[in-house]
Amino acid sequence: MPELKDILPFLIPLAVLQFALLSLTIRHILTHKTYKRGSRGLWLVVAIVGMEFIGPILYFLLGKEEG
Amino acid sequence: MEMLTLSHVSKRFGENQVLRDVSFSVPEHTIFGFVGKNGAGKTTAMKLILGLLSSDGGTILVGGQPVRYGNTATNRMIGYLPDVPEFYSYMTSSEYLTFCGEITGMEKKKTQERREELLNLVGLNGNRRIRGFSRGMKQRLGIAQALLHMPRLLICDEPTSALDPAGRKELLDILAAAREKTTVLFSTHILSDVERICDEAAVLHDGRIVLQGTLSQMKKMRRTAVELEMEEMQDAALLLAEFPFLQAQGRNGLILKQADRLPELLSFMGERKLSVLRIEHQESALEDLFLEVMGE
Amino acid sequence: MRAFLKKEWMEAVRTGRLWILLLVFALFGIMNPAIAKLTPWMLELMGEQLAGTGIRVGEITVDAITFWTQFYKNMPMALIIFVLFGSGSFTVEYQRGTLIPVVTKGLSRRKVAAAKMIMLAGMWTALYAICAGITYGYNVYFWDNGTASSWAFGVFCFWLFGLWVIGWLVLFSTVVGSSTQVLLGTGAVVTGAYVLGLIPVCKKLLPAKLMGGLSLLQGMEKPGDFFGSILTTCLTILLCVLAALIFFDRKKL
Repeated sequence: MPELKDILPFLIPLAVLQFALLSLTIRHILTHKTYKRGSRGLWLVVAIVGMEFIGPILYFLLGKEEG
Repeated sequence: MEMLTLSHVSKRFGENQVLRDVSFSVPEHTIFGFVGKNGAGKTTAMKLILGLLSSDGGTILVGGQPVRYGNTATNRMIGYLPDVPEFYSYMTSSEYLTFCGEITGMEKKKTQERREELLNLVGLNGNRRIRGFSRGMKQRLGIAQALLHMPRLLICDEPTSALDPAGRKELLDILAAAREKTTVLFSTHILSDVERICDEAAVLHDGRIVLQGTLSQMKKMRRTAVELEMEEMQDAALLLAEFPFLQAQGRNGLILKQADRLPELLSFMGERKLSVLRIEHQESALEDLFLEVMGE
Repeated sequence: MRAFLKKEWMEAVRTGRLWILLLVFALFGIMNPAIAKLTPWMLELMGEQLAGTGIRVGEITVDAITFWTQFYKNMPMALIIFVLFGSGSFTVEYQRGTLIPVVTKGLSRRKVAAAKMIMLAGMWTALYAICAGITYGYNVYFWDNGTASSWAFGVFCFWLFGLWVIGWLVLFSTVVGSSTQVLLGTGAVVTGAYVLGLIPVCKKLLPAKLMGGLSLLQGMEKPGDFFGSILTTCLTILLCVLAALIFFDRKKL
C-alpha cells in the first residue's frame, strides 16, 4: 500500500472531477424531458453505473437531443 | 424595376421533372403570390432562387444579379422564411435575432431596435429558449428573422400553413405592411390568402406556370353569372323552353351563365310581360378561377 | 465570421459539450500519472496472489517515463472521445436545417466552415493543453522532469496528429450527411494510415508516427526522425482544409 500522501494528490481531484461530471450529467438528464433515444430512467442508470466517465459520455453522445 | 426574374427555369430530380420552363418576374414593391397544390414545385422554385439547389436550365436574376448555386452573393438581398423553419434551440429568440443581425453586418444599435420592434410585432417573448417553441412560434420567429435586416426581397414558403386563423390574419397583415419597404414573394395553397393581400400572382401546376398576372387582370377573367327569380313558376318554365342555355334553380329561379345575353332575355320578358322578382349579378370567387386552371 | 464563432462557442457551452470534454480531458490528465503511480502497488497485490502459481512479478521502478507512457497510451482514447463529440458539428446542422437561415442571409459558406474549423482546432488545442499540463504538473511534483527530456516535442507531435484527424473529420463532414458516415470515413483513413505504417518504408512519413512520442523519451529516436511525418501531416491538413472549403461551397444543406 503506497503512502496516503502519495495517493491523495490524485484521489482528491479525481473524486472532485468525477463528481462534477456525474452531477452535470444528472442535471442535464433531469432538466430535459425528451431524449434522442432511451428514457430518463435508463440514462440515469447508465450515467451512475458508468460514472468514471463512460456513462456521461454515452449519455451526451447517444441520449442527448441535438440542437 | 424587376426584383426577381426567372426565365425558362427547369429542374428535375431523377425521373421526376419538377419544374418545366418556368418564367415569371416580380416587380419591386409588390406582393407576389405563388399558388399551387402541395408538391407542385413551389418549394423547389424558391430553393433555386436562394441558390440552395442547382437548376438544370434557365437563369434567375435577383435585383439584376444572377443567382449561382451554393455560395451566392444575391442572398444578401434576401430574407427567407423556410416552410419548416429550424433555429438553434439553445438560444433565446432575442439572442437568435441578435445573431442574425451580426451575420448580416447590421449595426449593434440598429439590431437592438429592430429586434424589439419585431418581437413585439410577432408577439414573442424574447427571453424564452427556442427549444420549447411550438411550430407556430417558430413560424413567428421565422418571419422576424427574415424581416430583421430589411431585405429587398422577402421569400416566404407557406408562411400561413402552421398558424391558426387569428395568427394567419396577423401574418398576412405583417406581409401587407412589409410592401412599403420590400418586395414579397410567398407561396401558398390557401387561395383566399392570395385574394386578401397579393398584387400579382402566378399559379404553378405540374411544374408549369398555368396562370400569371395582376390580381385585377385575374378578376376580369372570372366568369360572371346572372341569377333571376321569377314570380310565377310557369314564367320560369317558359323562359327555360325559350332559352336552352339557362339553368333552373329551385322552383322559379334561373341562372344565366353567359352574362352578355342578358339584354336578349330582358327584352323577351318585356314583350311577354313576365314579372321578375329579382335579378342579381353574381361574381364567382377568384378561387374558382385558380381551381379551373389547375384542372379541377 | 466572429458572429458565427460566437454561436459555435455558445453551442459548445449551452449543450454541455464543452464542460463534458473539459472534465473528461482533466480526468485523463490526472489518471495518466495516477495509473503510473499505482501500477507498482497493484502489481505487488497481484504478485502476492500470484506467488502461489509460480509467476513472479519483477521489481518495477516508476519514473517520469512511466508517466508519459501512460500519457501516450491514454491520449488516443481522449482523441476518439473528442472526435465522437466533434462528428456532429456539421452534420447535425444539415439534418436539422439550421444552416439554411444562416446562408440565405448571405453569410458566406467559407466563413461558416472556417468558423467551425477554428472552433474544433481551438477546442482540441485547449483541451489537450489542459490534459498535458496536468500530467506535466504531477510529473514535476513527483519527479524531476529532467528524466523525461524533450517531453515537449513528443507532446507537440501528438497534438499535431490530433489536428490531422480533425482535418479529415472536417473534410468528411463537408461531403457526407450523417455523423455516422463522418466517423466511418475518419476511422477508415486513420486505420488506413496505421496499416500503411506497417510497411517500414512508409512508416517514417506517415502521420501515425506522430503518436509515438514515447520513443523520443526512451531515447530510441531523435526529433529529427519525425520531420518527414510532420511535413506530410501538415500538407495533408492543408489539403483537407482547402478541399473541405471547396466542397462545403457546393454542399446541399
